[in-house]
Amino acid sequence: MNSSLSPEAQPIVSVQNLTVVRGNSVAVDSVSFKLFPGTHTAIIGPNGAGKSTLIQTILRLIPASSGEIIILGRNGRRLGKLAGAVGYIPQSFPFDRHFPLTVSELVSLATGKLGFWDIGKSAQKKRQAVQQALTQVNLQDRAKQRIGTLSGGEIKRVLLAYCLVVPRRLLVLDEALAGVDATGEADFAELLAKLKEKHGWTILEVSHNLSLVSRYCDRVLCLNRQLLYQGSPEAAFTPENLLQIYGSRVNPYCYHYEPTRLDRYF
Amino acid sequence: MSLPDWIGIFSLPFMQRAIIGGVLFGILGGLLGSFLILRRLSLFGETVGHASILGVVLAALWQLPATWALIVFTVCFGLGVVYLIERTNLSTDTILSITLSGSVALGIIGLTFLGGYRGNLMSILFGDILAIGNIDLILLLILLVITLIGLFLSLPDQILLTLNADLAKVQGVPVQSYRYLFIILLSIAIALAIRAVGVLLVNSFLVIPAATARLVCGQFIPFLIASTGIGIVSAVTGMVVSGVFDLPSGPSIVLVQLIGFLGSAVWKSIS
Repeated sequence: MNSSLSPEAQPIVSVQNLTVVRGNSVAVDSVSFKLFPGTHTAIIGPNGAGKSTLIQTILRLIPASSGEIIILGRNGRRLGKLAGAVGYIPQSFPFDRHFPLTVSELVSLATGKLGFWDIGKSAQKKRQAVQQALTQVNLQDRAKQRIGTLSGGEIKRVLLAYCLVVPRRLLVLDEALAGVDATGEADFAELLAKLKEKHGWTILEVSHNLSLVSRYCDRVLCLNRQLLYQGSPEAAFTPENLLQIYGSRVNPYCYHYEPTRLDRYF
Repeated sequence: MSLPDWIGIFSLPFMQRAIIGGVLFGILGGLLGSFLILRRLSLFGETVGHASILGVVLAALWQLPATWALIVFTVCFGLGVVYLIERTNLSTDTILSITLSGSVALGIIGLTFLGGYRGNLMSILFGDILAIGNIDLILLLILLVITLIGLFLSLPDQILLTLNADLAKVQGVPVQSYRYLFIILLSIAIALAIRAVGVLLVNSFLVIPAATARLVCGQFIPFLIASTGIGIVSAVTGMVVSGVFDLPSGPSIVLVQLIGFLGSAVWKSIS
């Protein structure tokens, strides 16, 4: 858990009275919150609660209807030069499985160069950065493989490596592990926590796995179009709160966390 | 055919222009086609190509300079189709099908008003690479240089937006501008290629070399190089076949491309 929650710290993300209307319905209603450096925040809520809409609006993928979003001190329709400081792992990553791109080529796209296009003194450095990033997510052996040969969980780790190649300050994950099995999910969460500590990331993620949220996140935003609660996971996950957020259908601790194979990543 | 005959053919100015044109078309088609097939725009190229029959007919009806009129037509048509795709909730293939049929229908109706021009229908449909003029070559060269500079400066961004547009947007890639620029480049390339390969087959020089390369390549840079190389070799070989056997140039080039594609598919399935 991080201690940089002092009131003096400049927030990495500041959202004020954000409302997003999609079609004829209000998807996000007057939401306000701040993310401070080094924190790991999870957005939880039932399906259709506006979690992905909120994330995508913050990332400027969807226009806000009203309200203000300031990311890294910048307020505008585009992230502009700050875009490189923001990493994003989307909920789904659909692509042509036969796309002629190798794992290392995909990761090297983050450096703005590719293959022999990269000439000059920094070329070797960039190649090393790509190799190191792949090693950190334990995919160094898959560098030369086509991305279409990887599993869903491995693709998410490649995208994490993509975020590692250049320094990031904010990492946004939109249910990044949807469709990945329980062990893969737990491994990824542990890897993410370790990399967060190492690189000083601020993380905002959408998650359905409340046991992983309570283990790794220091802050929870409970969303059901409106922000129903924000605070620590311990305080958020009371039966009353969960009933209010999810209704009576929730069984948040149905998944039991097990020790993982973290060692193999480092 | 003896060696002097061969040399004789290639010393003719129109044949030399055709060879240079073939090489330039091959490079341009290979580069643009690589992104065309990965962005699932093959049918878009087909639609702009077929719709060009309307452009050719309009240029003839109003007695406009053919090359320039066709460039303006294909760019406007391409952007118009994109506008319809974005502004309606119909699927892309439905819009393409409607615009293709509509423009071909209008083109054929327009053709009936061009009594004397009807004899050229075959050359509109199948092209004649030997009819390439110096202006066409210069325009083609300019377009190729623009494409090469654009790719050199933005290749990683282009790949990222081809792979996943949302991720590219978050990384600050001007996705929408790049998409429109690509459509414009593609439309101009098609307009310039119409004279050489005709409206029916124009899309093949974009799609077939890239598809052949994609069958055999797993890395992006080799894929791009292979696509370009196949484009050049098939265009030049096709023209030579066309010149030597007195066959229409467009179909000859497509035939060579097709043989290459089938050969790669068989080789890939065996290996």
